[in-house]
Amino acid sequence: MTRKMPIADFCRPARQVAVIDPAKLMPLPPPYDVTDRAPIRELSEEQRLRMDASLDGVVALGLTPPAGPEEEQAFIAKFLAGLEKLFSAEDNWTFLQPLVHTLDYCVKCQICSDECPAYVASGHQEIYRPTFRPEILRRIIAKYIKKDHPLKRKFFGSDIDLNWQTLARLAELSYRCTLCRRCAQACLLGCDNAIITREIRKLFSQQMGTAPKELHEKGSVQQLRVGSTTGMTPPALLDILEFIEEEIEETTGRQIKIPVDKKGADMLLLHNAGEFMAWPENLAAFAIFLDAAGVDWTISSEAVAYDAVNYGVWYDDMQFARVALIHAQAAKKLGVRKISLGECGHAHKAMIVIADRILTGDLNIPRESMLPMMEEIVLSGRLKLDPSRNDFPVTLHDPCNMVRLMGIVQPQRRILEKICPQFREMTPHGVSNYCCGGGSGFAITQSANFPDWRSAVSGRTKMKQILDAFADQPGPEIKKYLCAPCSNCKGQFRDMLQYYGAWEKSGIFYGGLVELIVNALPGLKKPFIDWDWH
Amino acid sequence: MGTLVIVLTYAAYLFIIVMYSIKAAAWLKMPRHIRWDLYPVIHEENYHYGGSYYEKEEWWKVPRHRPGWRSLLYALKDNFYMGKYFEKNRWYWAFLLPWHLGFIFIISFHILCFFVALAMHLGLDVSGASPQLSGQLLYYLLLVTGALAFILGAIGSIGMPVIRFFDPGLRAYATPFNYFNYLFFLLISLTGLYDLLVVDPTLKDYRTYWLGLITLVPPVLHTSTLLHIILFDLFLIYLPFTRSLHYITRIFAYYFIRWDDEPNLPGSKLEKEVADLLGRRVSWEAAHIPAGKTWAEAACESGLSEARKEKQ
Repeated sequence: MTRKMPIADFCRPARQVAVIDPAKLMPLPPPYDVTDRAPIRELSEEQRLRMDASLDGVVALGLTPPAGPEEEQAFIAKFLAGLEKLFSAEDNWTFLQPLVHTLDYCVKCQICSDECPAYVASGHQEIYRPTFRPEILRRIIAKYIKKDHPLKRKFFGSDIDLNWQTLARLAELSYRCTLCRRCAQACLLGCDNAIITREIRKLFSQQMGTAPKELHEKGSVQQLRVGSTTGMTPPALLDILEFIEEEIEETTGRQIKIPVDKKGADMLLLHNAGEFMAWPENLAAFAIFLDAAGVDWTISSEAVAYDAVNYGVWYDDMQFARVALIHAQAAKKLGVRKISLGECGHAHKAMIVIADRILTGDLNIPRESMLPMMEEIVLSGRLKLDPSRNDFPVTLHDPCNMVRLMGIVQPQRRILEKICPQFREMTPHGVSNYCCGGGSGFAITQSANFPDWRSAVSGRTKMKQILDAFADQPGPEIKKYLCAPCSNCKGQFRDMLQYYGAWEKSGIFYGGLVELIVNALPGLKKPFIDWDWH
Repeated sequence: MGTLVIVLTYAAYLFIIVMYSIKAAAWLKMPRHIRWDLYPVIHEENYHYGGSYYEKEEWWKVPRHRPGWRSLLYALKDNFYMGKYFEKNRWYWAFLLPWHLGFIFIISFHILCFFVALAMHLGLDVSGASPQLSGQLLYYLLLVTGALAFILGAIGSIGMPVIRFFDPGLRAYATPFNYFNYLFFLLISLTGLYDLLVVDPTLKDYRTYWLGLITLVPPVLHTSTLLHIILFDLFLIYLPFTRSLHYITRIFAYYFIRWDDEPNLPGSKLEKEVADLLGRRVSWEAAHIPAGKTWAEAACESGLSEARKEKQ
């Protein structure tokens, strides 16, 4: 009957607080219901010594244990100093109000719990419950910041022991929530447990200098240092663009020059540079589409500005602001009228919404999503399109950042309804969608066995949705297209579809939206969508 | 004793008003934050599917119409309906709603008592046999409000601890504080219900008591009525120490966080406000954040040199 909350266990030394039981994972339809391997790879003992995996045997962050008690005390003291800064209107004006509101007014009614795809798919692992992380933080605040009397702590149930283990697990736990904010949507009190997750990540990054390597060192730091999180330098960018132009010519028979640093262009396209390397067809499709529609556009070759990504949005306000500023400065330098964001969800949210309270004066350049413009061009008939070229089953994934967090819901649907005769929705969709499982940086986090976790747990609900959407044609003989207008989501789908063998078992392929538009253009030398890309 | 209770009542009302005002002001005084909107945003034209102005090409050129009444109604309706709970956890809803309605009705009942007493002081006969229709209306309104408050409050305060105890997800996070709240409100509801059913079926004592409050003449009351009034006064003093302000802060959170989609247009008041916020100083200690600089200064640096220095 009772399920004890392991908060006391959370603070005790132990090999693992939670064990993910494969038998309790949310079931998937056949043939995905049977698997001959453990869903999540076990870490080796050597890895466990090097990286703390005592939360759930999975490592995204993997902190190294302290050398001794002094180091542990210094770690705790620094954390507590950072915790105080979270409540400072100077240090944390950026998110103070949402943070305080949730900490003060959540009544732990648990109405949000079943909204969380990771919590549900994991078989209701208590540590993944949306209210669990805030509860740990709330207790630390009561005991160590407010210094509540022991009797008061008993009455309010806010006791906790703070040690290195507690903090290492808390830091790791902040990377078990994709920040999809589905839980927040359910809350009648306006609380948002995802913001607590983000603020914990921020505290560790801005105070302790701790964040997953893929987000910080190889992410935002690398972007600021060499120009892109991919490591792509400005000269490398030009080489890649040349390659993409050659590919365009080969596919379409058209010679299209991708405009770079075109002064006074109408629009600066901010595009995820990861796409240039992993999915160059996406930029190629944009180039073909914009050329055909006669749009006056450019991309920037300025370091940082040719990569739309802004990982700071997931873990660090300062890194976020730095990248956003450089994006805006590049647009200003080129003298463009507006900035448009390509198919990248977090870049949308970062540059259009979050940066809206960072950019002022001549850096406050109008910014918008590419999707409404794409919709206008497709629906107005400016381009001649042939839907029969897309006559295969298509479903649409709603990237959380664009949809639930920005309200861009219909343009992509109207496009698909116009050009894809076999388009079908997932259930639920729109602002009630499920996260791909790779949100908030998970899709790029390759640490140890973390990719297994994001396929087996955080992405599991989405996997089920995808399979359900194609349930009428389940076999691999019919090729199906999972449309995901977001680079991060595509990264997750690439790994997750491979993890489940979804191409071999079900013929499911993934790609962006603009590729479908270009595929519908008549007169191409060969179909733009190449199913062999899987 | 009568005088003490009058003083206690005035003190309790004054206390809760002052404390709630301080807490609400503190909430509102926090600086404007980074946008953290969540859709559907109810004042948006296409709120029914969660659409926003970002669905329009060059949205900054399109006039925005924001009907305030729709947002307000949406925010208020859940104080009386709590539809999400009905959808997601019907048993919980079945007790949570009466518990909250009991609370709303008991506050309404006492406020109504004040107005009834005022009317009585001005000469209105408030009773079932009053020659004036308004007197009869006030009488029945007070009776129905009181009865609903006591009955719903009792159902809620009995049901809530039961469901909190038996639902594993709720039980794991339940605290002595939660159970104390239910017990406290149960006592208030039961003393009121006892009055209504056994001692004072027309709730005359309550009208008399409030008349005494206005005229500052301590009335003689039945013990159970007195107990109910003392308990309710203590409850008012206790409330600011609970999360009860969520009746109001949830609406703040909707307007100032979830639905705050106000764009920072060039030259706007908001842009000026943001510029001021960027002038605040940061003291974060990680290597990539330069110490003692303002937000704007720190953001204009790459943070790379600081990180390198730390490594050396």
